[in-house]
Amino acid sequence: MNLMTLQRYKNELVLLVAFLFALFAFFYKYSASADVEKNKANIQKQISDITAIENYKGMWDGKKMANKIKILKTIVPNSKVQSFSKKSKKLVASYTNLTSNDLNKLNNKLINMPVQIVSLKITESSKNIFTMEFTCKW
Amino acid sequence: MAILNLTAKQSNRILIHKNMEPVKLENSVDIILTPQFYTFLREELDIKFAYQAKQIAASLFDDYIDTQVDYQYHVYKCDNAWCFFAYNIEEIDSFLESKGIEKHRVAKIYFAQELKDELTKPMLLSGNHAMQSVDDVVTMLPKRFLAEDVEYVTLDTEKLKLKNGVTMGASLNSFVSLKETIVLGSLLALLGTSLIVEGNRIKSSMANEDAKLTTLIDENPKYGSSMLRESILDKYKPIDTTERAKRQAMKEISKLLSAKSQLKELSIDKNSISANIATQNKSISKQVSEHAKIKKMKVTATGLELKVEVKL
Repeated sequence: MNLMTLQRYKNELVLLVAFLFALFAFFYKYSASADVEKNKANIQKQISDITAIENYKGMWDGKKMANKIKILKTIVPNSKVQSFSKKSKKLVASYTNLTSNDLNKLNNKLINMPVQIVSLKITESSKNIFTMEFTCKW
Repeated sequence: MAILNLTAKQSNRILIHKNMEPVKLENSVDIILTPQFYTFLREELDIKFAYQAKQIAASLFDDYIDTQVDYQYHVYKCDNAWCFFAYNIEEIDSFLESKGIEKHRVAKIYFAQELKDELTKPMLLSGNHAMQSVDDVVTMLPKRFLAEDVEYVTLDTEKLKLKNGVTMGASLNSFVSLKETIVLGSLLALLGTSLIVEGNRIKSSMANEDAKLTTLIDENPKYGSSMLRESILDKYKPIDTTERAKRQAMKEISKLLSAKSQLKELSIDKNSISANIATQNKSISKQVSEHAKIKKMKVTATGLELKVEVKL
């Protein structure tokens, strides 16, 4: 292609360059969007995973639970605590002669503690008097 | 007698006339066309821009040129009027080639009309022809029309101030006009620029998320490992889900209890939570049963006693 031909099609060349520039810009933006979409989802998942792990660990890792769990022994009169056996990270407890009020207090305390309730049994032994036994771990 | 130097070795400008000698070129040159190669008109028109003048150029020459031939037009402002030129680039091109001037060597084409002030006296081009400005129009004159003792001028083409040239390529008709090129080119450039700006903005939008993740991983470097993260999540997620479900079920069951519907037994095991509720009458029993069903509990009624069960 000689100089004259280039000059003859100067306008077309200018348009071609402008078009190629716009095309390049389009692909640049498209790849930026695709790249960000892919990486953003990945980054957000990592952030959400780490946040979830921190929340889960804060709640369920059982640190200091050995001390906190003792409240379940003192929340009702000692005479009503039939057994309270804490071994390692597990508690087995049973109570008798619980009034409705005792039962509610004990139950609320238990469900508000971050422990795994392995088993629980509440039985009405006589009118408005209950027995309760549970096993929990942390 | 003035002799114009026509060799390209000493000059970058060549005056083109039909009786010129062939030349040998090594560099590109500008050419100055004598009136033998163009038709000239000067018009006083109420037009502001050259492109507007160029649009009407063809119609101005209707009576002066052969409309069967493909002419090109060049316009520039001269004093208070517009100077119009019609020329046939193919004719010029073939003439130049016959004189040894390859078209790719031609940088710019000028018209001898620009020399009107320098040619108040004639300039000898060849043995038979001279060129002179007559009524401000540069014209070819046979030598015999001039007085024998006339004084010819010599022009140094290099020192001439020429400013209204046209490129060889631009003189040929382009498919797209300059105006269209400017408009379309600007639009495309604008579009391209805005897309690049948008692309950069999108890329930078990730910076905050990235910084947050970096901070989290800096605080807990071990969480950088996806395997470890998944392992921890696999351990805690089922515990969290199940324990929340147990507590939610216990709350729902407690809402079924009242002075007229009392808990007899409640048990939690690995798979379910169940409660026996004693109600005072059928109406209460029905009411409790409906509430339990709304909460998607399985209800079994035995007389006035209801057994509600929630699967974990």
